[in-house]
Amino acid sequence: MHPAFSVIFFTVVSGAGYALISLLSLFNFLNFGMLIDKNTFFIIAITSAVLFTMGLISSTFHLANPKNAWRAFMRFKTSWLAREGLLAILFYPILALYLYFIYIDMQINNFMLMQYYSFLIFTISTVIIYCTGMIYACLKTIPQWNTIWTPINYITIGFALAAMIFFFILNLNGYDTTSYENYTLSIIAFSLATKLTYYFVIRLPKYNIADATNAAVKLKSTNVRLLDVGHTGGTFLTDEFGYKVAERKLFRIKILSIFSGFIIPFFLIYIYSFIYENIALCSLAIFLSFIGMISERWLFFAQAKHVVNLYHGVENV
Amino acid sequence: MRLGLVVDLDKCVGCNACAIACKQWNTSGTSGSLTDYNPYGADPSGVFFNRIRHYETGNYPENKTVHFPMSCMHCEEAACVTVCPTGASYKREEDGIVLVDPEKCMGCNYCAWACPYGARELDREEGVMKKCTLCVDRIYDEKLPKSERKPACVMTCPTSARYFGDFDDPNSEVSRVSSDRGGQDLFAELGYKPVNKYLSPRDKVQVNQHEIREPNLVTKVKDWVNKVVEL
Amino acid sequence: MATKQDKISFKKNATTSNTFEMPQFEDRDKQTQKHTTCYMCACRCGIKVTLENNKIRYIEGTPSHPVNKGVLCAKGNAGIMKQISPARLRQPLMRKPGSERGTSEFVPISWEDALDMLTERLQKIRETDPKKLAFFTGRDQMQALTGLWAQQFGTINWAAHGGFCSVNMASAGLYTTGFSFWEFGDPDWDKTKYFLLWGVAEDHASNPIKIGIGKLKERGAKFVSINPVRTGYQAVADEWVPIIPGTDAMLALSMVHVLLKNELFDWEFLVRYTNAHYLVVDTPRKKGDGLFYRNDDDIPQSWDLEKKCLVNAVDPKIKPALLGKYTAPDGTPLKTVFSIMIARYMDDEYSPEEASKICGVPAEQIEKIALEMAHVAFKETIEVDTEWTDWTGKKHDKFIGRPVSMHAMRGISAHSNGFQACRAIHFLQVLLGSVDCPGGHLAKPPYPKHIVPPIKPGKKVVPGQPLESFPLGFPTEPEDLCIDKDGNPLRIDKAYSWEAPIANHGLMHMAITNAVAGDPYEIDTMIFFMANMAWNSSMNTSKIREDLCAKNEDGEYKIPFLVVCDAFDSETVGYADLVIPDTTYLERYDTISILDRPISEPHAVCDSIRSPILKPDRDVRPWQTVLVELASRLKFPEFTTEDGGRKYKDYKDFIVNYEKAPGIGFLAGWRGKDGEKSLRGEPNQNQWEKYIENKSFFEYKLDDNLKYFRGVNKDYLEFAKKSGFVGSTKPIIIELYSEKLQKFKLAGQGLYDGPQPTKERDQFRLSRFFDPIPEHYIPLEHRCSFSSKFPFYAITQRPMFMYHSWDSQNAWLRQLQAHNYMHMNKKKGEELGIKDLSWVWVESNTGKIKVQVKLMEGCQTNTLWTWNAIGKQKGKWGLSDDANESTKGFLLNHLINEHLPCADTGSPVTNSDPITGQAAWYDLKVNIYPAGADEQFGVYPNFEAGQKVFGQPESKNVLRYNTKKPVRLSRSLKDIITKGGFKK
Repeated sequence: MHPAFSVIFFTVVSGAGYALISLLSLFNFLNFGMLIDKNTFFIIAITSAVLFTMGLISSTFHLANPKNAWRAFMRFKTSWLAREGLLAILFYPILALYLYFIYIDMQINNFMLMQYYSFLIFTISTVIIYCTGMIYACLKTIPQWNTIWTPINYITIGFALAAMIFFFILNLNGYDTTSYENYTLSIIAFSLATKLTYYFVIRLPKYNIADATNAAVKLKSTNVRLLDVGHTGGTFLTDEFGYKVAERKLFRIKILSIFSGFIIPFFLIYIYSFIYENIALCSLAIFLSFIGMISERWLFFAQAKHVVNLYHGVENV
Repeated sequence: MRLGLVVDLDKCVGCNACAIACKQWNTSGTSGSLTDYNPYGADPSGVFFNRIRHYETGNYPENKTVHFPMSCMHCEEAACVTVCPTGASYKREEDGIVLVDPEKCMGCNYCAWACPYGARELDREEGVMKKCTLCVDRIYDEKLPKSERKPACVMTCPTSARYFGDFDDPNSEVSRVSSDRGGQDLFAELGYKPVNKYLSPRDKVQVNQHEIREPNLVTKVKDWVNKVVEL
Repeated sequence: MATKQDKISFKKNATTSNTFEMPQFEDRDKQTQKHTTCYMCACRCGIKVTLENNKIRYIEGTPSHPVNKGVLCAKGNAGIMKQISPARLRQPLMRKPGSERGTSEFVPISWEDALDMLTERLQKIRETDPKKLAFFTGRDQMQALTGLWAQQFGTINWAAHGGFCSVNMASAGLYTTGFSFWEFGDPDWDKTKYFLLWGVAEDHASNPIKIGIGKLKERGAKFVSINPVRTGYQAVADEWVPIIPGTDAMLALSMVHVLLKNELFDWEFLVRYTNAHYLVVDTPRKKGDGLFYRNDDDIPQSWDLEKKCLVNAVDPKIKPALLGKYTAPDGTPLKTVFSIMIARYMDDEYSPEEASKICGVPAEQIEKIALEMAHVAFKETIEVDTEWTDWTGKKHDKFIGRPVSMHAMRGISAHSNGFQACRAIHFLQVLLGSVDCPGGHLAKPPYPKHIVPPIKPGKKVVPGQPLESFPLGFPTEPEDLCIDKDGNPLRIDKAYSWEAPIANHGLMHMAITNAVAGDPYEIDTMIFFMANMAWNSSMNTSKIREDLCAKNEDGEYKIPFLVVCDAFDSETVGYADLVIPDTTYLERYDTISILDRPISEPHAVCDSIRSPILKPDRDVRPWQTVLVELASRLKFPEFTTEDGGRKYKDYKDFIVNYEKAPGIGFLAGWRGKDGEKSLRGEPNQNQWEKYIENKSFFEYKLDDNLKYFRGVNKDYLEFAKKSGFVGSTKPIIIELYSEKLQKFKLAGQGLYDGPQPTKERDQFRLSRFFDPIPEHYIPLEHRCSFSSKFPFYAITQRPMFMYHSWDSQNAWLRQLQAHNYMHMNKKKGEELGIKDLSWVWVESNTGKIKVQVKLMEGCQTNTLWTWNAIGKQKGKWGLSDDANESTKGFLLNHLINEHLPCADTGSPVTNSDPITGQAAWYDLKVNIYPAGADEQFGVYPNFEAGQKVFGQPESKNVLRYNTKKPVRLSRSLKDIITKGGFKK
């Protein structure tokens, strides 16, 4: 698949943004809204809003005809993209009201309402990330995406980034995050585990050229090869789906993404937490993690092989 | 109605008539125009709804060549319709044709990701996705003679390797030819239930020739006898 | 489920799609439809062109047209892009004074000046030495007019492209059965049960073959394809026979061997309709050997089995012997033709086992196909119940059909043994009795014609006078050759000389080389029409391009004046001194005439026209009009009235009023004063209008009793004579044995009472290759001693969507193929360490090219092939300098020598069939090896881009063609929001 940076940026950044507000509202829910001050709360909330808004805006750059972008939520009945779009749009007023309630200390007056509301925010924002992941996972045409591990990873990676940002902002504002170090590290470790599981699950190709052309050859076992693709230049299909990267390059980027996205940030947070408390370590962890996750998302696109490639001579996908 | 095509791979000689007729009809039709990029330069490309690819099977000298036209299958459970967020991609109830409404399309390419058959292409100049319309602007046109109310590709195919009709009508040509020859769904395991059917190359025609042999082969001219034949 | 179509109504701008209400997509009131004839290739299908806002909305096949019956191929469908091609020439041009030829530096010139210049020059040539004008036409379909023009001018140096196209195929048939393949004959697509396709990739007749294959498939008829490559039609063949190029005669004659051995041939057919029973003089090494034994009235003889004596072979009531040796009363030893055939073809040399070693087809397969054909011919005979009368007066109540048919084209033809190979294929047809019978190989009127039509090639060049005969003709003996008293060729292309005696279509591929070499003489002016001689239509392209610019010691060009007429900026246009810009096929009047290259069907006499669909948007004129204009200015007798005035106003006038013979004109339809006569009649002044009214074609259906066995069908022969197709009602007896060839053979042996070759090389060629019955011989190039260094055969084929060099300018078609590869058998490539898509050198004795290779299964082991004419010169054809055609596309032509590469013959001889002069393109032998690591990109050779031709527009980067604003079909918002999942 041709990796479009606007889409990569969109999914990583908005995933982090929604996960952050999700984490924040979950934190609120579990701690009965008491443990962080409003300032910090709003810093985190605004950060998350900025992140997911930037992400959404970025996603429109991918559109060839953006003037119709406002229609993007109309088919929520069947389309994960529409569902994500609709929820994203509805989320704004819902979140705004929530933040207003926080601002006016609603939890003091109506504690249960805020508990439910926090849980609602947590649910919607997580579901939005799930929808984002399902945009890709529901496609049977791209075997590398067509697994539950795709949305799982969107969620866990979003949470890994969010956890680090959350951790960073808390520490920046002077909170003692001793009990949260382990949560943060666990989330990062868990997201690495889900990522590696994903790579394991997609390791084998699912379809071959005979599957795709079965009507032409009655026996699937017959040796089918492309003789001529029928055009000498590229086409929309080859441009969009024929993206090829050398295996070695893919491997190198995979290693980079794992280290930069998960392992090094894990150790930086660990060092910060238990060895050397320098906030720069946290910010470095976030920075490296973003790079790593963006590479990981780039890989997600680059190593995805659309089945239409089988018609263009690729042996299996 | 369930309109669709049958493509006979036993007759297709790979001439590309259907691909160009489609291009020609549609560039000035309801999907028009179909852009061409770098038409006179390096690596020319353009928007086509129908493309012919060519495959080989087996090994020399028992190899076979198959010419393979592909265009939108107008699937019963079209993934492109499911995934389209704006509703630009839709399947008509009355005849099953899958269409793109260019006024609604935002050019996100999602439908192209969902289509295994490569049926949809982005027209970069217009920013919308385009595809085979089953010549919806021909098949209902009462100002065309009835015999011409067919898709351009079907009209032009020189070997008559393409058929058009209603699969819900058991007496239609497409239903009959598909049941006679075993019309196949392409890539059926994906579950999109393509309506278009493909007919595989037939088994080789056998000619019985053993009874033609003379029991005693003639080896010398003298063995032959002049037959008397009157002019 | 009931259809709802009756509920369809039209509403402008409907906003809902969940009903049948459709917007009016096409505004028919704004559209007009015109019929004309396609010219994207020479198939000449009938097309219906829809115009809208003065642009072409749609081109489709005319449903009632006899050639294509409503279908249209990719090329025909792409006519719009040809019509708006940026390569269209825009005005007459003259080479800029002081510039070098070949650089495309032109200045505009007005039509009047161009015509004046040309008239003046031609007048001078005509008055002094008319043969100094060499006028060669390429892929046109206008030979009746251009040939007439050349004859009237008085030059013998005229031909069309047949000599480098398929003259072997045409001549072999014309000298054997009286008709051949392509425009002369067709398989009986409706009734045949077994079809053999020999050496045909995409080739004529394009759409009819496709329609026919569709029909075969429906009926379950067997389709066998003999071709080294499995693409195109071969993909759908039931059986693919990968043959070694140039060995088809061996395959055909081996099948003849099998048929003879099993006594599986149509005895009656041979006796009644062929010269198999004629008696041949058997006096080896003596004069008269191998000629028919003739009585005092010069009539060939046969041995009557009842009367036991000699009888006239052409008499109706004889009972001739097919076999045997006899003695004439005067003691001359005689043999029947058939005995000669058996002696040769039943020899082990032609057994399947031996043949297999030569042609690469397994012996069992050769035998199987022969037996299958015999089974179909004799055990699955069909009958058509019609009363008919044969030439002897005998009445029959049915036509017996042996339903085996064949089609052969360039793959057989383009070899130096192609004439004999094609004859061998006809032999198979004849033995099976499948000539012009139901299910077999059907002639197309005006064929069959007598063997051969009584036209001798003109050779008397007289200043200011027309030639005594048409410049091309049908030699039957050495006396007919166009040679001087010393035996030297009279024509610039050396056609009808000892080098190529039966050169029925000329040798266009030699014209430039010979003119520049001054061999046999120098010429003054060369006119090329629709012929890309500076590129794909020449052998040895690089050398030809140099030749065109070759200069004498005094600094003058060896070809002093070069006129190129074309519609498009081709490579050859760049070499012109004067460019005459033609119209496209949609912008002119044209005739597709029976006198020319007919479009008849087997059972209908057909012809057609073109009329302008659009007006040219530039200063161009149809070449036909220019020719008529020049003919009038030069006062050709046929174009001038008795008092010296102009006879024809223009081309249209000429076509209507010119009569080749009384009542015979270019167009056969709607003749007679009021258009009431067909085929023959007085000129009808409204003839063009009648054609236009009738969708631009004329179809005259034959009565049932005239449909088969036409060479021996009494009523048909009378009809044909009345219509001017043939000159007599004598039967057209199939010439299995060609006495005409034997005469040339005797001349080569020094045993002929008449002209004989004096050069040893010519003597050898005539005595060795002019066999009166076909044989397989090794192609000439393969006999050269260096040939063993080049183990691969290299051939080309045309893709179905491009016609030679014409379609790289077409924005749609070139997306399908903008550059080509050299294809190779995968296993062979891997053996030699050649990787798929790598760059390789392909080398012949003449030169080498660097190209990209593509490995495939469906390619004969030792054969390489590529698509024809894809490579282009940088900057030509309206393409940008970085177009794939010039950076990755290539021509095979650079490897082919127009002379036989053997150096030991002294004077060079053409690399062509020694009988007909057909260019032996496919005899090429090459070697292939990987290019170096630093040579991995870019074709070699590369040619400089010419200057941009004056007046040519810039080509666009993005093309969005349409004729109107599209009418959209909308989906309602309500539908979008409410529609659930899928309706089951």
